[in-house]
Amino acid sequence: MEPLTRDGLSPLKPLADALSSAVPEHPADDGLFGPRSVVWRLHRDRSFPVAAIRSLMLQALHPLTMAGVAQHSDWRRDPLGRLAATSGYVLTVTYGARADAEAAARRVRAVHRHVRGVDDVTGLPYSADDPALLLWVHAAMVDSVVCVADRYGRRLEPGDADRYVAEMVPFAVIVGIPEDLVPGSVRELTDYLSSVGLLQATPAARDAIGFVLDPPDLDPDMRETWRDLGQVAIGTLPEWARSLYGFPVPPTEALERVTVRQLVGVLDLSFESLPGVLEARQRIELRMRA
Amino acid sequence: MSGAVPRSRAARAAALARLVLRIGGRYAARSPQLIFASVDRRRELRHDLALRSAEEVAEELGAMKGALMKLGQMASYIDEGVPEEFRATMARLQRDAPPMSAGLAAAVVAEELGDTPEGAFGRWDPLPFAAASIGQVHRAITRDGRAVAVKVQYPGIGESIEADVRNVALLRRIARMAFPGLETSALVDELRDRLREEVDYALEAEHQQLFADYYEGHPVIHVPRVVPELSTRRVLTSELVPGSRFEDVLGWDQRERDLAAETIHRFVFRGLYRLHAFNGDPHPGNYLFHGRGRVTFLDFGLTKRFTANDLAPLEDAARYIAVERDGAGFRAALERAGFLQPGAPVATELVVDHLGAFYNTVLRDGPLTITPEYASALVRRFFDTRSPIAPYSNIPRAYVVLQRISLGLYGVLGSLRATGNWRRIAEEIWPFTNGPPSTPIGEAEARWRALRGEAPLGRSA
Repeated sequence: MEPLTRDGLSPLKPLADALSSAVPEHPADDGLFGPRSVVWRLHRDRSFPVAAIRSLMLQALHPLTMAGVAQHSDWRRDPLGRLAATSGYVLTVTYGARADAEAAARRVRAVHRHVRGVDDVTGLPYSADDPALLLWVHAAMVDSVVCVADRYGRRLEPGDADRYVAEMVPFAVIVGIPEDLVPGSVRELTDYLSSVGLLQATPAARDAIGFVLDPPDLDPDMRETWRDLGQVAIGTLPEWARSLYGFPVPPTEALERVTVRQLVGVLDLSFESLPGVLEARQRIELRMRA
Repeated sequence: MSGAVPRSRAARAAALARLVLRIGGRYAARSPQLIFASVDRRRELRHDLALRSAEEVAEELGAMKGALMKLGQMASYIDEGVPEEFRATMARLQRDAPPMSAGLAAAVVAEELGDTPEGAFGRWDPLPFAAASIGQVHRAITRDGRAVAVKVQYPGIGESIEADVRNVALLRRIARMAFPGLETSALVDELRDRLREEVDYALEAEHQQLFADYYEGHPVIHVPRVVPELSTRRVLTSELVPGSRFEDVLGWDQRERDLAAETIHRFVFRGLYRLHAFNGDPHPGNYLFHGRGRVTFLDFGLTKRFTANDLAPLEDAARYIAVERDGAGFRAALERAGFLQPGAPVATELVVDHLGAFYNTVLRDGPLTITPEYASALVRRFFDTRSPIAPYSNIPRAYVVLQRISLGLYGVLGSLRATGNWRRIAEEIWPFTNGPPSTPIGEAEARWRALRGEAPLGRSA
């Protein structure tokens, strides 16, 4: 059941720890979004792992974003630790008190200040605190959450997608993107995404995404499940992004809502059985009901 | 009770017989209000997290979780062979399943019975007192004054389980993770059938009533009667029975525990050999104890019925190994049942040694204590993929539930550290031995059989 690596530890453990420490037991306030927000609803959807894989695949298509990761991050040594750090950041900003969210953003900005260099492929200089790159990362995530939640999560009500995009503006602003650059509606988001140039699947991007889709050392049964999940993420990519990677279109039956939810359900169950996960989810649920 | 004077075996047996004889008016005339009030909530359900809509049910229990719960139930009887993480996941899933809100449960009742719960029943407790694997149980008093337990199914769970069992590939993958080393395709096929049956409370009601009718008037075995006019596919109403839980019984004195164990043992053996029906759920939560060996059996959602043909090779196997001591006959019976490949290149002594282990409790005439260690060892043997006969042995589909129950049964008897002459009890029930009553409960049971006009069992009869 548990997605064990061969050394007998759950690879989801760092993610579980990230969730349980990101969701406060006695929050000082309702944070940036609050329990009634669409953000709270979508960020605890069980389909979130698929959205995360899709986000990474889109984000990696910007060569300068990818160069920053490839040249400065230790993701290859500790991929799940890296993923857990990102996930912990998203969850803290979502469910944490305002001061915690702002502190987390300050730490990210401090790290970003040192991430700069020149991309091998395009020959262009980059800097991680460049609002243009930050905006790409933000937009790829927001687009992925909306797309995946609608297809595989609890369905979105009319207007939810627009509300989500608009609610997420402060999420972008606290990492240093000027507010007037951030898309505030689905329409603006779509326009922005299609306006970005330079996108390509560099060798670094292919390498990293290959790793995400088939992490080493998973036990054989879990490996199948994870690969299936990767196929689902590929199936939700826009056509242009899929073509850049050269991935074939996954079979339709692998993308059916019921099948995908079953797959996600199995993964989610092993996640939820890790210490602290259920309790964190219950804290969120109780605040949303209050 | 614990007299300082050591008593002889005969005196002790006589005292037991008197106890059993007093059973007569066991469920005598308690008012429904008293019964209603005495059934307490088994554990704190998280009403603050109650599911308020079918959509929330789908989110919490749909998408494979229902199927996994069932698989987890299978795993929960078994101490060994199941990875700890899987066990923890399943235990958690069963323990923490949130209840339905009062409104949602009422909506299901209204859809099924065509009236509000308060209208359909005279009195209705909107808070469930127990969780069931795909529903929850409410206390109520019917309009004609009977205290009842009403099991209400989560809305939409039937559809989602139906979708889950169609995803055979994923089920097999999970079963491989849950039961490494076990041939899982038969297990998964059986799981699918049982899941489909379990969502049909009408079928469960039929099975429960089969057992209730059969055990009518039995001195120590009680099965709550179904109230058919208040039961449907998603609502099952039956007699409400107060009693002690398994956890309580573990604190009772050993004699009481032995009596309870004897009754459970009789229930399983008698069900199989006389009723040809096995209640597939030896979960400790499915028993209520009333002292002096009296036990109420709950939850018939996983009942397996056997044909005479299904049973014949099993009867033969038991007879050859336990009575005739004929290893070759035992082996041939197992081959007929499909447990062992015919002509497998292993010595018959080895077959007897390995597969005969399951009959250990009934091999010898004499008192035997079933310990948790014994139960674990049995399961270890069952899951031992390195045994020399493992490549040639298998559990045919018709017996998967049977196997589960046997393992679960020993788990329950082991927890009770029960002592009994299991062989003598088996002989009372085996159709091929037709033995005399061997205990006070056996005596009382013989009188019950005579009263209901049941012909003695057995071929010679």
